[in-house]
Amino acid sequence: MPEGRLKSRTFRRIKKKLPGGKTVLHYKKRQPSRAKCGKCGSILKGVEIAQPKKIQKMTKTKKRPERPFGGVLCSKCLREKTKKEARV
Amino acid sequence: MFEIGRLCVKIAGRDARKKAIIIDVIDNNYVLIDGETRRRKCNINHIEPLNKVLKLKKNLSHKDVVELFKKELDIEIPDKKSRPKSDRPRKIRKTKLKKEEPQPEKPEEKPELKQPELKKELKKEKKETKKPAKANQKTIKEKKIKKAKKKN
Repeated sequence: MPEGRLKSRTFRRIKKKLPGGKTVLHYKKRQPSRAKCGKCGSILKGVEIAQPKKIQKMTKTKKRPERPFGGVLCSKCLREKTKKEARV
Repeated sequence: MFEIGRLCVKIAGRDARKKAIIIDVIDNNYVLIDGETRRRKCNINHIEPLNKVLKLKKNLSHKDVVELFKKELDIEIPDKKSRPKSDRPRKIRKTKLKKEEPQPEKPEEKPELKQPELKKELKKEKKETKKPAKANQKTIKEKKIKKAKKKN
């Protein structure tokens, strides 16, 4: 029987095959949701999704694109923003 | 619209929101730019033109562009040269230091001798060590014999 805390569906269940041929249930934490644009809400590209523990170990370039507002705004929204600022 | 000397802002990439001047027109789609951005070929779609047009010669050098920006636009462009490596302070790990500190001084080694010389020396040492022991034994035996004679 699994532990009481593992019975809830907060954990993902993965069936693993052992070398002896047995199948065992493994419990894994679910992945966090994807990063979204602060203006239009579309999914950001070039931003890694992982547990915060793993993200801590990653390099800066893996966490966000290397442009102003990278990891906050999508590229389309940045273009609109800079165009507006330039035309005033 | 995109002629030589037109001031513009970059929209895309890591140089986005930086100002630059068009130095050369390469193609219908591409221009050469320089200024706050790096000197590079650039797609027209990645540029937003501004109102200002400066009078320029074709293919200005980067130095002249820097002076122009300072005169006309009051924008200073810093030199981006890589620092000399020696100036950068480097961290030293503690674990490495610990290993280096407790180094015991090695005992002074005897000058190496050739094999035949070594053998001779070893033989000499053996003789010196054996001789006194034998001498002692002899003296002890003699003393015992003397004692026995006296008793008789």
